[in-house]
Amino acid sequence: MKRKIVFLIVMLGLVAGAYIGYKYLYKDHRNIENEVSVLEVEADELQLMFQNNQTNAVLDKTVTVGGTITEIEGNSITIDEKVHCSFDHRIDQLNVGDQVRVKGRCIGYDDLFEIVKLDQSTIYNP
Amino acid sequence: MNNRFFTTLLILFLTLSLTAQSKYKTKTANITFEASVPSFVEVKGTNENVSAILNTETGEFVSLALVTGFRFKMALMEEHFNENYMESSVFPKAIFKGKLQGFSMSDVSEEISEYTLKGTMTIHGVTQPLKARVKVKKVNNIIELVTEFILKPEQFNIKIPKLVSNNIAEEVFVLAMYSLSN
Repeated sequence: MKRKIVFLIVMLGLVAGAYIGYKYLYKDHRNIENEVSVLEVEADELQLMFQNNQTNAVLDKTVTVGGTITEIEGNSITIDEKVHCSFDHRIDQLNVGDQVRVKGRCIGYDDLFEIVKLDQSTIYNP
Repeated sequence: MNNRFFTTLLILFLTLSLTAQSKYKTKTANITFEASVPSFVEVKGTNENVSAILNTETGEFVSLALVTGFRFKMALMEEHFNENYMESSVFPKAIFKGKLQGFSMSDVSEEISEYTLKGTMTIHGVTQPLKARVKVKKVNNIIELVTEFILKPEQFNIKIPKLVSNNIAEEVFVLAMYSLSN
């Protein structure tokens, strides 16, 4: 009887350990759409932050950017020629000239085009 | 006086529009790298927001990938890639600068032509020479570039801990695809 209980406890421990290990290895991706933005700014302000090297505050963080769409290329848009946002889904409903607020993950500053880039973007309607 | 001013302005605009025409560019090129070994989950990351500019007059080509923009199937792998290996908060960019040898816009057509791309790759703060074959074709004023090459993490001072080194290949296969338009 006693041995049975010990065996059961050991088994339970192993299963729990395996479960925790699995959860650690295969943890879920971030869901940018559901995260709270660390920053809500206009496109030019975000670009200015990178030009002043204040990158640690926003790199790999979720931010919300407002402005006017100046370019559409595939599934991505450029806001005020300063912030490039790529979406994981089609964006047929958007047009150049639209006023938008976009939430996305800030992946860094692109020197070639002098723009800040966001990925996993979604249109933000509070 | 006034006339001269306008002539200068006109020349300026003309040269500006001319240089603009010889630059083909993209902000959404695709780079995938793979360092998988058999019998372990795939070690593979993709960045779909790579920027690049090709100067069709000189063949000069520059490509910039933001390291944080690489996405993996496993969230944990993505985390380790950024924090432990690439240290993307310190070295946020991977940049290639080089030239397509013997490139001439008049040779580019809907048929694939091959060029040698020669230049330097900067990753993790280390710059190394790189040479690769590139397939080039042009369809409807879009220039498509496709290239594959091999990189070794140790060349760029990227250390893989012994514990996981069996699960990550020593040679990393890179595939880059660009659709450039002007």
